[in-house]
Amino acid sequence: MTECLTNKKVLTKGNYAIANAAVLAGCQCYFGYPITPQSEIGEFMSGKMQELKRGYVSAESELAAINMTIGAVSTGVKAMTSSSSCAVALMQEGLSYAATDELPVVLVSVMRGGPGLGNIYPSQGDYFQATKGGGNGDYKLIVLAPSTVQECVDLTYKAFYLAQKYRNPTVLLADGLLGQMMEPVEFYEYPYPEIDTSSWALTGAKGRDGRIIRSYGPLADDRCVFLEKLYAKYNTIEENETQWEEINTEDADIILVSFGSTSRNVKTAMKMLREKGIKAGFFRPITLYPFPSKRLHELSQNTKKFITVEVNMGQMVNDVRLAVNGKCPVELINKGVGVPPSAKEIVTRVEDLL
Amino acid sequence: MATQVFKLPESLKGDVKYSFCPGCDHGVAVRLVAEVLDELGVRENTILAASIGCSVTIYDFINVDSLEAPHGRAMAEATGIKRARPDKIVFTYQGDGDFASIGLAESMHAALRGENITAICINNTTYGMTGGQLGPTTLVGQVTTTSPTGRNVDYYGYPIKIAEHIALCDGTAFSARVSLDTVANIKKAKQAIKKAFEVQIHGLGFGFVEILSTCPTNWKMSPEKAHERVRNEMMPVFKPGIYKDVTVQN
Repeated sequence: MTECLTNKKVLTKGNYAIANAAVLAGCQCYFGYPITPQSEIGEFMSGKMQELKRGYVSAESELAAINMTIGAVSTGVKAMTSSSSCAVALMQEGLSYAATDELPVVLVSVMRGGPGLGNIYPSQGDYFQATKGGGNGDYKLIVLAPSTVQECVDLTYKAFYLAQKYRNPTVLLADGLLGQMMEPVEFYEYPYPEIDTSSWALTGAKGRDGRIIRSYGPLADDRCVFLEKLYAKYNTIEENETQWEEINTEDADIILVSFGSTSRNVKTAMKMLREKGIKAGFFRPITLYPFPSKRLHELSQNTKKFITVEVNMGQMVNDVRLAVNGKCPVELINKGVGVPPSAKEIVTRVEDLL
Repeated sequence: MATQVFKLPESLKGDVKYSFCPGCDHGVAVRLVAEVLDELGVRENTILAASIGCSVTIYDFINVDSLEAPHGRAMAEATGIKRARPDKIVFTYQGDGDFASIGLAESMHAALRGENITAICINNTTYGMTGGQLGPTTLVGQVTTTSPTGRNVDYYGYPIKIAEHIALCDGTAFSARVSLDTVANIKKAKQAIKKAFEVQIHGLGFGFVEILSTCPTNWKMSPEKAHERVRNEMMPVFKPGIYKDVTVQN
C-alpha cells in the first residue's frame, strides 16, 4: 500500500492504517528504526514523506529516533516515531525529557512479546512501560489503546491532537495483532482543530530574545513549583480526556475489563455469558492514561466482581484494583504472550472464577 | 574622536555573567560563535541543540532559540529540527564526551547523512562538569580521577581524534581542529567556525569544528599553565588544521 487514502473504505493492515492516518493528520516528519511487528509504518513513511516533501530519517537507533522526533516537534510541527517493546525501552530517556520539556511527541508502540528480546508474537506486556514510564522522574504520557484497525486510524488522529493540545508526549499503544491484521477501514480528513504553537515553538528568535526549552532545573524549590504545575496539567487531562467503552454494566454481577485487541474476544465472551444467564458486563479503557478509575470506582458500588483479561502476567489488573480500592474482588484471566484467549476459553475461565 | 573596536555581540545576552571557571576556554568559544552568528546575520533564524556537560550553559549566554538535548543526543535533536525546518540555521555545541563518547553514533551518522548542521565540539580531554574523569579524548598518560595512575593504553585504550574521523565521512563538508591558546589561533578558530556555518548556509553538508580547550579546574593548573598544556601536550597529538573542506579544490 503506497497510496495515501482519504474518504475511502479499504481493507488494510493496522500498521498501514496508522501510517496513513498520521500522514492525513499532518505529520511533517517521521523518524524510525525497523523492528518487527511495526516495520510497515516506517516502510510506508519512507516513500510517502519523500513524495510529499516532508521529513523522513532512517535513524541510527531508537535513541536517535525519539530525539529526532523531539527536535522536530520543538519547532511546532507534528512529528512521530514508531517502535516496539524492547526498542521502546531505548526511548524511555527521551520520553522523560519530552514530558518535562512539554513537547508533543507522538510514539506508536506496537507491542510484542517480552521481556528482553522476547518474541514477535502479540502481547500486552508493555502496559506498565507505557503508563508507568521507564524514564526517570515524575511524569505521565497520554496513552491511547485501539482495539480495531478503524480505531488505529481514529486514535492516531486523536494522538496528534491531544499531544499538541496538552503539549504532552502521547503514545498509541497497539500490539502485533492489530499491526499485522487486515480489516476494513475508513479514512477521513483530520477532524481536530489545528493548535497554535507560536507561543512556545523554536522558530528562530525573530524580533525577540531566544527561547530555551530545557529540563534542567538546578534549584530544588523552582523544580517543586514546576512539578506542581505539570501535575495540575495532568489533573486537567484526567478530567477532560478519560475515554472508555462500557456495555451491560448497570445490572452486572461481574464486569470484564480488557483493553486493546484482547477486548474483542472479551466483548464476545460477555455476550455468551449473558446468553447463559450470567449477568456479565464489559468495560474497555480506551485511554490507559488517563485511566478511567473514577468510573470503575462508581461501578464497584453495585457489582460483585471485576475480572480483567490481559495478554501479559497481570498489569492493568493493578490499576483496576487501585480504582476499586477493596470494594469488591478483582481477579485476573491472563495469558503470558500470543494471540488473545478465545471467547470460549474466556467464558470457561470466568465460570471457574464464579 | 573615539572609535569603538570591541563590543558585546548581539547574539550574546548582555545581562548575564559567564558561569565558566576562570581560565576556561568555553567563554572564548561561545563568544566566537556569537560573533560569527552576528557577522552572518543569522541570529534570528538560528536554533541551537544544546548538550549535557559544561557546554550546556551556552544557552544561558547566547541569544538564540535553544533546545536542551539528553546526553549525547544533541545531533539527533538537531537533525529533527533541521528536517522539520530546513530553512533554519541549526547548530550544536557539545563537549568531547557528549559528541564523541555517548553521542558518537549520532555524531558520525549526522556526518554520514550529510545533515546541513554545524557542530562545535569542545575538546578538553576530560569530563569537566562531573569533576575530571577519563573521557574519550583523555591523552595517553594523563592522570584523571578515573585514571589515577595515568591513561595506560593496555588498560584504557586510546583517545579518539575526532576531526579526522568526521573528515572521513562522505557527508562532511568541512572538518577542522582549532586551538584557543594564542590570539592568532583564536582568529583562526573564528574563521573555521564561520566556515562551518557557511557550508550549512550553502547546503553543502555537515560542518564541524573541534576546539582544543583548557579545563584549569580539573587539570589543577593556572589558566596560563593550562594553555601551555594545550600547546605542549594536546596540539602534538590533536594537530590543529583543516581536515576537509569541500569548498577548496584539490
